Amino acid sequence: MEAHAMPYYGGRTPEKGMAVYTQKVGMWVFLCSEVMFFTGLIGSYIILRFGASEAWPQPGEILNIPVTAVNTFILICSSVTMVKAFAASEMGDKRGTRLYTLATAVIGATFLGVQVYEYHHLLSHEFGPWSGLYGSTFYTMTGFHGFHVFCGVLCMTWATVKAFRGGYDGGNYRGLEVLGLYWHFVDLVWIILFTIVYLI
Amino acid sequence: MESTETLHETARAGTAEAHTGNHAHPRYLLVWLWLAVLTAAEVSVVAFTALPKSWVVTALLIMAIWKALLVALYFMHLRFEPPRVAVLAASPLPLAVLLVMVVLQEYR
Amino acid sequence: MATIVAEPTGIPVVEEQHEMSFIRRYVFSSDHKVIGIQFLFLSLFFLLMGGLLAMLMRWQLAWPGRPMPFGGLFPETMAPDGIMLPEFYISLVTMHGTIMVFFAIMLLLVGVFANYLIPLQIGAPDMAFPRLNMLSFWTAVPAGLIALSSFVVEGGAAGAGWTSYAPLSARPDLSGVSLGQQMWIVSLVLLGLSSILGSTNYITTVINMRAPGMTWTRMPLTVWALFITAILGLLAMPVLSGALIMLLFDQTIGTHFFLPESGGQPLLWQHLFWFFGHPEVYILILPAMGFVSEILASGSRKPVFGYKAMVGAIVAIAFLGFIVWGHHMFQSGMNPLLGTSFMVSTLVIAVPSAIKTFNWMGTMWRGNLHFHTPMLFAVGFVMLFVIGGLSGIFMASAPFDIFIHDTYFIVAHIHYVLFGGALFAIFAAIYYWFPKMFGRMMNERWGKIHFALTFIFFNLAFFPMHTQGLAGMMRRLYDTSGYTHTADLQWTHLLITISAFALFATGAIFAINFFGSMFRGEKAPPNPWNATSLEWQTPSPPKHGNWEQAPVVYHGPHEYSHPDVTDKDWLAQNERPDIVSPAGH
Repeated sequence: MEAHAMPYYGGRTPEKGMAVYTQKVGMWVFLCSEVMFFTGLIGSYIILRFGASEAWPQPGEILNIPVTAVNTFILICSSVTMVKAFAASEMGDKRGTRLYTLATAVIGATFLGVQVYEYHHLLSHEFGPWSGLYGSTFYTMTGFHGFHVFCGVLCMTWATVKAFRGGYDGGNYRGLEVLGLYWHFVDLVWIILFTIVYLI
Repeated sequence: MESTETLHETARAGTAEAHTGNHAHPRYLLVWLWLAVLTAAEVSVVAFTALPKSWVVTALLIMAIWKALLVALYFMHLRFEPPRVAVLAASPLPLAVLLVMVVLQEYR
Repeated sequence: MATIVAEPTGIPVVEEQHEMSFIRRYVFSSDHKVIGIQFLFLSLFFLLMGGLLAMLMRWQLAWPGRPMPFGGLFPETMAPDGIMLPEFYISLVTMHGTIMVFFAIMLLLVGVFANYLIPLQIGAPDMAFPRLNMLSFWTAVPAGLIALSSFVVEGGAAGAGWTSYAPLSARPDLSGVSLGQQMWIVSLVLLGLSSILGSTNYITTVINMRAPGMTWTRMPLTVWALFITAILGLLAMPVLSGALIMLLFDQTIGTHFFLPESGGQPLLWQHLFWFFGHPEVYILILPAMGFVSEILASGSRKPVFGYKAMVGAIVAIAFLGFIVWGHHMFQSGMNPLLGTSFMVSTLVIAVPSAIKTFNWMGTMWRGNLHFHTPMLFAVGFVMLFVIGGLSGIFMASAPFDIFIHDTYFIVAHIHYVLFGGALFAIFAAIYYWFPKMFGRMMNERWGKIHFALTFIFFNLAFFPMHTQGLAGMMRRLYDTSGYTHTADLQWTHLLITISAFALFATGAIFAINFFGSMFRGEKAPPNPWNATSLEWQTPSPPKHGNWEQAPVVYHGPHEYSHPDVTDKDWLAQNERPDIVSPAGH
């Protein structure tokens, strides 16, 4: 709609601001609020665990560490393909852009699949969100992380379609970079979650 | 969104925008290797039940923060952005720490 | 002098005159001005709704157990034979607070004016993300409708207070409200999403879309206030969303976050709620302070006294606002060490607040005062904010707060800052920017009558609550007449109720003036107040894309009565210095 075909500011540049393009600033600002959202959830976990009157289950007692370690590795791989997709787009590698974008969406979906399997397994062993503070915090934190991955996978699916239509060719890498920031942030949250929920 | 993009493309042409285009991409596979090794190290530390719990927790937290920093600095390119972007990115962290630390006082 | 100085090298903006359908232009519009006006209608509607709920409460407090007028319209579950049930009363209290805080005041301050003013005042064509902006509005609409419609579901609307303390809010078997409470939660999660999207947009726009020359120290104080407010919303809202989701899970899927009998921590809800809730208080007052600073400067024909100190005070209040949340919880049984630190940090907020108040007086001091309606409301704001602010300092002190906690003193305080403060500033801002929004002036005589009556009835309605609170009358009680220590004070409820009804009726003057002026008001010139900021240097109302000529900024934001300008008492931000007539010519 706002198709101002000519330079809007009469050839003058606006104030410098953040010195990066607006979409990237917007994503970083949004991620700040995401940090606070996960602070609410993870912070509550830490606080409830410190205040818990009953003994907290030992690592590996209820949750399956090896499966989740593999799943962590899967999510890390998806971050690498994501950043590779961005790099490929920026360097004009059309084939790389398409393949890496597709790979990111697929690997992200795989992570979700493993998480669904894990939930199914736990629920069938009578460990649900109602199972004490441990169950409450576990399902809320990993569930909301999973929801973020789900949103990311939806966006990546859309980005894959766009990539195969050539939407990121010709140096038009910004969409992938901004989406990548979100994707890596979700990966980063999982790194923290994996450590404090599964291992500590 | 495309239209505003055009707007800023033209408006910002020639401003201090060049960094993303110019920085050499770091070796992402090396970062990936580090992340994988650290994950493996984390899982194996947990297996050492002979160590005092506090040591294990400290080691795990250090490795988790290390991994998070790798992701933020290289995958999210904070190392290659203007410092003010890193300041923006880090700005909620003091608040996050404050919230948790203050509420934890309830259990002292 | 021409209001807009032509930029010789400037390239005029291409006028976009797409044939847009009505729906694209006015309903699903991505133009920040249209979205701002949409928010205006939405939030005024919720202001009316919140006011109506208050009127019902006031009836019950003044005449406990007497059938309400039109009481027969209410179903048996709310008011059998027109007599209000206690359950209905407490959901009125809850929803009055919720609707006023989240859907009336917050949307009026941030939704309306951040959307409308930020791009205009920083010289941008639109927001950074226009479609995100549209999404923000269309998330707020269902949020509000869900909140309102919870009255008609089984069990009625949420009844745990606007703070929804657990475990009452988490246990339907205790409160008797399950679906209503869940709708309350969903509504606020949606509103939080809307607010986060909006804040992201405002922050990005202010950081990256300022016109050439619009440096940080040349931004009008309104933009500063809205910018800092957006940061508060961005960082505080998600914490509330997280807490709300945990509360929802406690209600629906059997988690135990806030349920003490299975190891949960009710105090955690209070901490999370107030970690959001206190910054929220400043979300509700900082933009008001911004509007008032600007209107006082314009009405006094003087620059804002101590611009940089004003900016510093805004930033300081926002920063301190994040570390004082515990002063709402002195009575909760939290760690006393925390209580003391929260008390000290809260008292420190008096310093930046006092800086602002004295600077407002400094702005007016020996100014060429023009008491038009916006100015009257702005001066009213300063007076009432001082009262509300001072009672706030009382409460910051833990020993005193323990005495007046949960009494009408608190109710008096919150209304002095939210009605006397925020809403007065909102009225000032509406009268001030109405010409820009709709291209017509609001009626000045009726505006002044509106101000006078609002000021009188506001004080009559809310000042006696201080006395009630000090006498030990607790808030949220269904019927206060039966207690021996407050039985003598029943007449104050009568006074308050009659004043509140009058205050509500005064709103009709505003409504008639507002809608009447929209169609039949006097045509507004581009700059009816001879003001300096950029939005006045473009036609009223501004066209799509805002500017006929891209603005370039050369001056500070509030340059009234500049000594170098002799032919008029104001200097627009975009006037070229070489064209301004120098002194002595």
